[in-house]
Amino acid sequence: MSIPEILVNDGFITQRDREKIDDFSARSGQSFIKIALNYGYISRKNYERSLINAGYTLQPIRELDKNEDVLSKIDLKFADQHVAIPLYMANGRMVTVMADPTNQFFIDFIRFTYDCEPEIIVSSDLDIVWLSNKLLGGDYVKSSVFELLNRDPANSAFTTFSSGQLVFFFVLLGLVAAGLIISFKNTSIIINIIISVFFLVAILFKLFLALVGSRFELHQAVTREDLKEIVEDELPIYTILLPVYKEDKLIKKLIWNLQAIDYPREKLDIKLLIEEDDDKTLNAVRNLSFPAIFEVIVVPFHMPKTKPKACNYGLHFARGKYLTIYDAEDIPDTDQLKKVVAMFNKLPSNFICVQSALNYYNRNENFLTRMFTLEYSYWFDYMLPGLDTLDIPIPLGGTSNHFKLDNLVELGAWDPFNVTEDADLGVRAYIKGYKIAVVNSTTYEEANNEPINWIRQRSRWIKGYMQTYLVHMRNPAALLRKLGLRGFLGFSFFIGATPLTFLVYPFLLAIFISYLVFDLSSIRTLFPDWVLFMSIFNLMVGNILMIYINMMAVFKRRFYELILFSIANPVYWLMHSVAAFKGLYQLIVKPFYWEKTDHGLSKVINPTNVVK
Amino acid sequence: MRNESRYLLLITILLAIYYLICGYYLNRLGYMSQEAIFYIEKSKIILDGLGNRLKVMGLTAPILPFYTSFVFSGLSIIPIPAPVIASAIFTAVLFYIMGSMLLARINDSFYLLLLVVIFAVHPGIIYAATSGKSISMVLLFFFLFFFNLLKFYRSNTTFHVSISSICLVILIFCDYKFIWLTLFFIPLVLSITIQSLNLGEQESIFRLFLSFNNPSLRRKLINKTFALYIILFILPLSCVVCYKLLNLTHANDLNYFNESPYASWTVLADKLSFDQLSTSTVYQLPETSVLISARFIIYCPLILVALYLFRDSTYQILTLLTPFAFVEFLHIKYEKVFLAHEYYLMFIVLSLLCIFYKAQTVRNKNALKIFVGLIALIQLYTGYIYLENSSIGEERKFITTFFKREPDARQNENLELASYLNHLPKNTRILIDDAIAFPIVAFTDDVKKLTLPYQTAFLTSIEAPDKYEDYILLATDRNTETGFTQLNNKYVPVIKKANSTLKLRRVFETTDWILYKIGS
Repeated sequence: MSIPEILVNDGFITQRDREKIDDFSARSGQSFIKIALNYGYISRKNYERSLINAGYTLQPIRELDKNEDVLSKIDLKFADQHVAIPLYMANGRMVTVMADPTNQFFIDFIRFTYDCEPEIIVSSDLDIVWLSNKLLGGDYVKSSVFELLNRDPANSAFTTFSSGQLVFFFVLLGLVAAGLIISFKNTSIIINIIISVFFLVAILFKLFLALVGSRFELHQAVTREDLKEIVEDELPIYTILLPVYKEDKLIKKLIWNLQAIDYPREKLDIKLLIEEDDDKTLNAVRNLSFPAIFEVIVVPFHMPKTKPKACNYGLHFARGKYLTIYDAEDIPDTDQLKKVVAMFNKLPSNFICVQSALNYYNRNENFLTRMFTLEYSYWFDYMLPGLDTLDIPIPLGGTSNHFKLDNLVELGAWDPFNVTEDADLGVRAYIKGYKIAVVNSTTYEEANNEPINWIRQRSRWIKGYMQTYLVHMRNPAALLRKLGLRGFLGFSFFIGATPLTFLVYPFLLAIFISYLVFDLSSIRTLFPDWVLFMSIFNLMVGNILMIYINMMAVFKRRFYELILFSIANPVYWLMHSVAAFKGLYQLIVKPFYWEKTDHGLSKVINPTNVVK
Repeated sequence: MRNESRYLLLITILLAIYYLICGYYLNRLGYMSQEAIFYIEKSKIILDGLGNRLKVMGLTAPILPFYTSFVFSGLSIIPIPAPVIASAIFTAVLFYIMGSMLLARINDSFYLLLLVVIFAVHPGIIYAATSGKSISMVLLFFFLFFFNLLKFYRSNTTFHVSISSICLVILIFCDYKFIWLTLFFIPLVLSITIQSLNLGEQESIFRLFLSFNNPSLRRKLINKTFALYIILFILPLSCVVCYKLLNLTHANDLNYFNESPYASWTVLADKLSFDQLSTSTVYQLPETSVLISARFIIYCPLILVALYLFRDSTYQILTLLTPFAFVEFLHIKYEKVFLAHEYYLMFIVLSLLCIFYKAQTVRNKNALKIFVGLIALIQLYTGYIYLENSSIGEERKFITTFFKREPDARQNENLELASYLNHLPKNTRILIDDAIAFPIVAFTDDVKKLTLPYQTAFLTSIEAPDKYEDYILLATDRNTETGFTQLNNKYVPVIKKANSTLKLRRVFETTDWILYKIGS
């Protein structure tokens, strides 16, 4: 009796389901068992029960022998579609591990290709996926790592500092040192003025952007009417990549949240990307007790072990017209995918990416989550729409950025050596003349509620911004030509100025506090009256404006209870500074190291995602 | 629409030219406001002075009108004082913004015509545009503040409330007295929040009752009210605090900008009206509290039409009433200081804003147009009468100079004295206290000759004028502002006591001033 028949007899799937699976299988080329397990028809637990009832024994396969010649005759994608892989010849038979031992198409493939009968070992589909990716995924993973470097080395962060940049930094350092030796006072005053002017311009620019962004507060990029006009049958396949690493605690929540997405089941192509050494997460998937719509892809080991590398790997198997990424703790608005499709349909063809807003569901948990919410509300609700309106490169958020898959591949996908691959990709897209839009849909995430974990995460982001800035500023003149003056300034203020601001901030604060507390007369010599006037103006106006922008953002989100927390921003920026110094250290010592953020620390029970 | 915008721009340019011509005409007849002269003097110090000019640049108040005047001080090719150019241009900008708002809302050329007539003929508006005072900037940002508030009521967007807040900041830095406007928004904000709660009950008082008696609604009400306060007022209040701190660090006085005659011309102007009200035996009935509001209504009856148009919205009515509370408060707070014409003009701007905002919703549009047109004509007359009978001499003088073509001789003596100083040799040193002598400094060609209080040398020169100075300018007894300077008639016996060899010879004398040549 075939597996589909067993499943129907056991009552795990209905006859109608079986017909739907067969139909989908014929259309997509995927095997019955692949669809049954990955499109929410049956849970893995129940499938194992059926197999055991039918007399099959699921065996461990990771330690089995392998033969390179045998493996060379099968492609990973084919093995993946059928959840089966031949390993080696024994006693004139091909030892083949299969999730569905009755898959006649694959059995015929073995007979035809290897000219022998298969010796079938039944195993869990997850183990087969793990093994097949590990054994056959070598070329794919190499391509994931080196594709951009080979194709477009100028845009790869593989080299952190170019020779020109090193020369520039050392010459600058030399000039400053020489200046300080020749005339300490005047050089200090000049540095002081440069920093003051820079801070003032940066803050005024941010206020301007926030005002531009807030102007479109009521603008709905996609309206309810637009959504109503969507014909479900015409929706394209949508790939969702879920790169996870040691997120066993969150897997159940993540998969459960994704089940709520309002999109036709067969048109979803959800890929959970698990690292080869991450048995914790794989076992968490194995233990899921409900049928779910997602497939597992195991990313073979290769350095650097970064999220963009995993995403690039997943990209090889993506079938969608559009593609997005969610983090493990994400709760997207249920209609987000439909909104993005509607948005892409409205936009001109040069718009290749749509960014959704990010916000937090655990905002009231502690000080850190409140500050994080303030920051994200301001960033995604005001800054990005502001940048979007002014046609300035948008540094994409880490998740919920929706791409046109073809264009993403054309761009060379994500840079695995860049730890803020999303921001880098946004800039690369602009350089190639593509545009990014912002959609009125929110993905709720878990705000980091633990200071050390927060600093780890933030140090990675700031390091990534430094990497991105260094990569694209290897040839500033060329960048200026490609982005135009507005884009170039926007890029410099957003990507370049952000780390610099956080690096300088504690020094300025220390000078100010020393001046106030110790009344150091020597500091006074570095601040002639007019510089002091400007610096105090900057300190006051700068802080007030930044606090005010944050207030505006939470006011817009109607998080009224957070409004006073904006005043604590100067303290929050100090934490940024700690992270910035950590990021700078890592940029020099280990530029590709991915500081892993622990998720699932929140004790807040997240609300379900609802369409507002 | 594009054509209308083009016409509007054309009218604005013509209006600006018209204001500039009027300003030139006034200037030729000798009319200059104290405020404009004060800005000219400070600009001269910044451009040509020697010494601590930063304090003058940073702490001269009101700072924004001064800066705009300073920007135009570079246009020396136009024979019109820079403050007058600034006020003419800002009045034209106000017209353009009001016109644009009008065109975006009402498709009726009557109202545009009305606006043009008011801006071209109303004596108060012409005074604002040609006097070189900060009135035009005040009116512009007062308009934008209320316009954005009304927009916020309709759209409930953060954008409009934050723009309102920014406009309020600018307004305060154009006239510090507007800081008190915030007081009257405290009950208003509560009203706005109650209105915005999602309740079935429509009556405001019952909404308040419901909100206070339900813990969840109460929390929401408090949070939202507080948030709205913060969004609206934190920016102006913190900017004022910062500005005061800058005053403290640079002048050792938090209120230097507001209380020192070196920083603000209003100190002397207010003192004059105080003297007038304290010593005058005339019973000034119109300046009595409560009647002030009635005075404003008579001056600008259109405000009643505005109130009528918003009769159905409690908090919008309250918004329109805040300026009344504000002027009443000013009258109490700044006792014995006359209310300047700018506070009257703001009612014209506010009433026009409300009419343009709401006119489309009125069923009988023709009746409204006739009514508004007639009242606007009456307002032209009241504008004239109020200026002609103003308690402030400068405003009365404007009418006699502009409409009756009587030359203004108030600055003649100052001009003569300045002319004398201009003819002194280049390396001459003259000690002058510009607390009250700023018109003379403004009219001199070379401020480098002058030793003024912003310079560190000033105190030394006062102590030993014979060592550092060639001339010294002292205020006479008859000078009404003599009490504001150390360099008055009391200085001579004091300095002679300290230095008996000092010889002072009168070389030039006017009613208010005596210029001494110093010898020893």
